[in-house]
Amino acid sequence: MADVDTLMPSEAGSSSSTLSRKQHLMSTFESYRSELDTDNERRERLIITSRSITQLSKKLIFHLHRNATSLSPQLKEKCLREGRSKEREIWTLFKKIRDELDSIGNGGDEAKEGYWRWNRQVSPGLEEYIEGLSFLYYLEHQSLIPLSEVQKTLSDEEGEALVVVTPEDYILGMSDLTGELMRYATNALSTGDHNTPLEVCEFVRTVKSHFDGIPPHMLYKLSKKQEETTRSLEKIERGMSLAQLSSLAFHLCYALRLRLIEFADKPEVLAMMAKRALEDTAEKEDKGRDD
Amino acid sequence: MSSGKRSAEILQSIPSFYLLNFAGCTLIVSDADSSIFLVHHRRSSPSNSRTMTHAHLEMSSRAQTVTETLSSVIELLENDQNLKKQIRESIEPIDDLSRTATTELNKLHSAPFSQHQQICQNAIDIITKTQPLWNDVAKLIPEHEFYRHQFALGPTMRNLTTSIVLARFILHDDLTPAHTTSTILGLQNDSTTILQLSSEDYLQGVIGAVNELPRLSINAVTSQNFDLPIKISSFVNDIFASYSLLNLRNDALRRKFDSLKYDLKRCEDVVYDLTLRGLTKPRE
Repeated sequence: MADVDTLMPSEAGSSSSTLSRKQHLMSTFESYRSELDTDNERRERLIITSRSITQLSKKLIFHLHRNATSLSPQLKEKCLREGRSKEREIWTLFKKIRDELDSIGNGGDEAKEGYWRWNRQVSPGLEEYIEGLSFLYYLEHQSLIPLSEVQKTLSDEEGEALVVVTPEDYILGMSDLTGELMRYATNALSTGDHNTPLEVCEFVRTVKSHFDGIPPHMLYKLSKKQEETTRSLEKIERGMSLAQLSSLAFHLCYALRLRLIEFADKPEVLAMMAKRALEDTAEKEDKGRDD
Repeated sequence: MSSGKRSAEILQSIPSFYLLNFAGCTLIVSDADSSIFLVHHRRSSPSNSRTMTHAHLEMSSRAQTVTETLSSVIELLENDQNLKKQIRESIEPIDDLSRTATTELNKLHSAPFSQHQQICQNAIDIITKTQPLWNDVAKLIPEHEFYRHQFALGPTMRNLTTSIVLARFILHDDLTPAHTTSTILGLQNDSTTILQLSSEDYLQGVIGAVNELPRLSINAVTSQNFDLPIKISSFVNDIFASYSLLNLRNDALRRKFDSLKYDLKRCEDVVYDLTLRGLTKPRE
C-alpha cells in the first residue's frame, strides 16, 4: 500500500503535463475528424453519382442492342438518336461530378487536384460510359472513336474537360467495347445480316492485335480483359463462319423454293431427291477418304 | 462415320423435311419451322469470294484509321508509363535513406538509454538528407497531378513519418504535428509545393510509430530503464484517445487503428508489471 501511495503524487505530477498534451492532441484530432468527415461525405456522393453513370450507361448499351440491328433504316436512325439523348443524360451526371470537385477549396488548386484525388471513385462509371459511348459511336460511324473525341464529348460548352480521360481509361474501354460488338454481331446474324458480323470481326481483330502488343506490366487490367476479347473474337468468328454458310444458304433458298413449288404436290419426288442427295454426299465423303 | 450417315440421323429427327444438293452443299429444310441445316460444304463458290474482295477493300481502309487511332493512344500510354517509372526511380534514393533511418532507430531497442538521444538525432539528420531529393520528385510531377502519383509516394511518406514521429517522441515526449513532419521532409519549400503529406498518410505513419513502442517498452525494462515504459504508456494512451475521435471507414487507416488497442494494452501491461513490483517509485 505504501508503494502505491508514494506512486500517486508522481503520477499526478506527470499527468498535469499529460493533460495539456492530451488536450492539445484532442483539438488537433478534432480538426482531422472534420476533415475526414468532409472527405467521406464527398466520397459517398461521388460513388453514388458514379453508380448512376454506370446504370445509365448499361441502359444505353441495352437500348442500342435492342434496336441497332433493326433492318429498317428509320428505326435504326431513331435508335441512334435516342442513344444520343441518353448519352447527353449521362453527360449531365459528369457535370455534377465536375461541380462537386469544383466546390473543393472554392475552385482553386485543390479543386484541380480533386479529379486525381477522387479518380478511384469516378473511374468505374467512366469506364462503363466510355464503353457505351464507343458502342454508340461505332454504330453511328462503323468505326473506332478516337480518344480526343471521347474527351471532347466529356467536355463542357467551353471545351473544358468535365473529367480527364486517360489513355488507360480509353484502352480499357475499347477492350470492353469488343464484348459489346460480339453481342451486336450475334444479334445482327439472327436478322440475316451477314456483312455486319464480318465487319465487326475484322474490327475486333485489329483492336486485339494492337492491344496484344501492350506489355502486361504496363496495363495489368488489360491483360485480363484481353482474354475476354479473345473469347469474344472466337465467338464472332464462329458466328461468321455460320454467316458465310447462311449467306450461301440464302442463294440456295431461291433454288430450293422453286423446287418446292415445282414438286409441292409430289412429296415422293422430293423425298427421292433428298435420298439421292444424301447418297451423293456419303459417296463423296467416302471417295474423299479413299483419296 | 460419314456425314451422310450423320445427316440421316438428323433427318429422322425431323418430322417432315426437304433436302437439296446444290453447289457442293447439302441442305436439309425442315417443313415444320423452315429452319435450314447445312450438312456438307465445299469451298465457297467463286461468286461468293468476289463479293468478299470488295468488302475487304472497304475494310482495310477502315482498319487503317483504327490502326492510327490505336497507335497514337498506345504511344500516350507508354509516355504515361515512362513517367510513372521515372517517378518510381526518383523515389528509390529516398527509400534508401528512409531504410537507413529505420535501421538507426532499431538501435533504440538494444542501446543503453544514455544513447537514445543521439540515435534519434542521427535518424532525424539522415531524414533531412531526403530534402533535396524531394525536389527531383517534385519536378517530375505535372501540375495538379500529385494525387495521380500518390500511390507511388504514399508508402515512402508514411515510413518517413513513422521514423520522424518515433525519434521526436524520444527526443521531446510529444507527437510531431503533420506540418512539422512535412517541414522536416522539406515538403514546404517553393520547389516542392506540388508534394503533400496527406492527412491519411500522416495518420497512418503515426500509428506505425506507435506500433514500435510496446517492444521498446519491454526492452527498456530489460535494460533497467523503468521510466520509459511509463512515458510510453501515457503517450500511447493519449494517441489512442485522439484516434478514437475519428469517424473511420473500413479502410487501411481503420485497420491500423484497430492495431492501436493491442499496442496500448501491451504498454499498459508493462507498467502494471512494474507497478506490481514497486519499480515505478521515483528514485531518491
